[in-house]
Amino acid sequence: MMIRATRRNVLLVLIFLSLALLLVGLGALTMGSVRLPLAEVWAGLCGARSEAQAVVIIREIRLPRILLAMLVGAALAVSGTGLQALLRNPLADPYVLGISSGAALGAIVAFWAGGRVAAASPLVAFLGAVLTMLWVYLLGRRAGRLASYTLLLAGVVTASFLSAVILFVLTLLSSRDVRGTAFWLMGDLSVVTDAQLRLLVPAVILAIAGLYWFAKDLNVLLLGEEEAAHLGVNVARVETAVYLLASLLTALAVSVSGAIGYLGLLVPHLGRMLVGNDHRMLLPTAALGGAIVLVLSDTLARTVVAPGELPVGAVTAVAGAPVFIYLLRRTTG
Amino acid sequence: MVGGLAFLTGQACWKKKLAVLSLLAALLAIVAVKASARQIIDQTGRRVNVPDRPQRLISLAPSITEVVYALGLGDRLVGDTDYCDFPPEARNKPHVGAMLNPSLERIVALKPDLVLGTADANRRQTADQLERLGVPLYGLRAHTVDETLHSIEDLGRILGREREAEGLVEQLRARIESVERRVAGQPRPKVLFVVWYRPLITAGPHTFIADVVAHAGGLSISNDLRGEWPRLSLEEVLRRAPDVILFPKTESFSPGLEEFARLPGWKELRAVQSHRMYFLSETIMRPSPRLVDALEELAGILHPAGGLGRRPTQ
Repeated sequence: MMIRATRRNVLLVLIFLSLALLLVGLGALTMGSVRLPLAEVWAGLCGARSEAQAVVIIREIRLPRILLAMLVGAALAVSGTGLQALLRNPLADPYVLGISSGAALGAIVAFWAGGRVAAASPLVAFLGAVLTMLWVYLLGRRAGRLASYTLLLAGVVTASFLSAVILFVLTLLSSRDVRGTAFWLMGDLSVVTDAQLRLLVPAVILAIAGLYWFAKDLNVLLLGEEEAAHLGVNVARVETAVYLLASLLTALAVSVSGAIGYLGLLVPHLGRMLVGNDHRMLLPTAALGGAIVLVLSDTLARTVVAPGELPVGAVTAVAGAPVFIYLLRRTTG
Repeated sequence: MVGGLAFLTGQACWKKKLAVLSLLAALLAIVAVKASARQIIDQTGRRVNVPDRPQRLISLAPSITEVVYALGLGDRLVGDTDYCDFPPEARNKPHVGAMLNPSLERIVALKPDLVLGTADANRRQTADQLERLGVPLYGLRAHTVDETLHSIEDLGRILGREREAEGLVEQLRARIESVERRVAGQPRPKVLFVVWYRPLITAGPHTFIADVVAHAGGLSISNDLRGEWPRLSLEEVLRRAPDVILFPKTESFSPGLEEFARLPGWKELRAVQSHRMYFLSETIMRPSPRLVDALEELAGILHPAGGLGRRPTQ
């Protein structure tokens, strides 16, 4: 599987994935619980009759949601790729270091507080994620720099502690609030405001670009910390930057969409099968792949039980676990 | 010193006998109480030994607490839940915890002769465990307005207050019928009941809320969905175009209504644009006598000014 990808092949893969993303996005626009003919979808996308229902459904419900799915999918997949390299652990995913638990705790505390605080729950969730990220960073440092093993343990312990606190806060909520928060915890892309999207688009793109900056260093880091240092990589600086950027991506994703599972674990592996281990190719592949996978999953979530909806996190988990097992059997067997 | 000696001699023996005798008497009394209990099938289908005249009651749901007080039996209530907030006196009763996980030892320590629970708020395990501990739990089930009235009558029978219960139910029924008369023949506004908006969760057809909405002359737009608390896609809400959006008002989680005027999709809804969004008091989710208050409130919202079904949209 580890064929060294030639530049031309990789370029082809990226062009193919970009086209696929475009197609999937357009396809998702045409699907939903309300049946809209293609002509109306097109009119809705570029039409002027802004009062028509089709226009509202396309522009205000489907389009923002698909954009959000692309951003969150890309963020989670790139974050997972970065963390797998940083921790040199193929099981690492965006949630392994407890950042999602921090965000979830923030959101739940916001729901619990109610009123204006509840309305600002994405902000509180982001705050929770960033605080967790800094806390794990402090715990994971040893002798002035990040130690991947210590970092992993610190993250796992923090995650399980925060999950315990979440369970405790859930017992304080009324049964109605518990149901609502449980759905949020399973991942949800249905509520996003224009203001959030306007912040999210540049933030996610900048963070992914930032990680890409270190792509070459990540390749060297895969050889081992000492070897990387011998080859002239400032290991401490790279590790800190990768940790912070990957965590930031997770924090951004989780605060607007809850904890959508499996994507950040699986897409990096799929990406490696496609383009190999070179992070200069793997990172963009993961970004596009994550976006495609989440748009597909959310389209399923929106349509399978229409007019009802499934939590998108349930879709990614139900589909993701078998795929992961399949990959595992294929690569080891 | 003398007392001590007496303790060692005959007097102590006498005391011991007295103790044994009183123990026997107590046992007899218990048997006597047991003997005066009836075996009744409760509304959840369990066989329960209900004492003839229960004197020490524990309520495991706010709705039951309200009914017990409404029947004039507040002083027999020796314990209720942390969530029992009406009437205000109910807050001062010893609490046994929350509905889903009450403290069994607290319940036993309060020595109730009958515990009252509901199929919706409580867990069957609680009833089974109490049964093992020898504490009878009578379970009620009220999924509709009619079942609420029925459960009030049933409680009246169990607690020896048939007449009060019948009087109360008669009053409530008269008020319900007057609401029904008022909304009969009116166009039914389409109603979206928002249990949660992030993501959007609404009330399914076989819920208490759906029944109250129907009684109040409304038409729930989620009547074809499955499950009690289904998720509904926003574009479907847009297509179904509710005239009125309702939220239950709870202490936690109440975003301002102006929040929705900013959310994409939501702000295009007719109900949002014409400001027909309302917080309903939480009693709409509570099968108690005050349910009729909530019903009247809702009928007033859905059919304002005694008839106009739909306010013209701007």
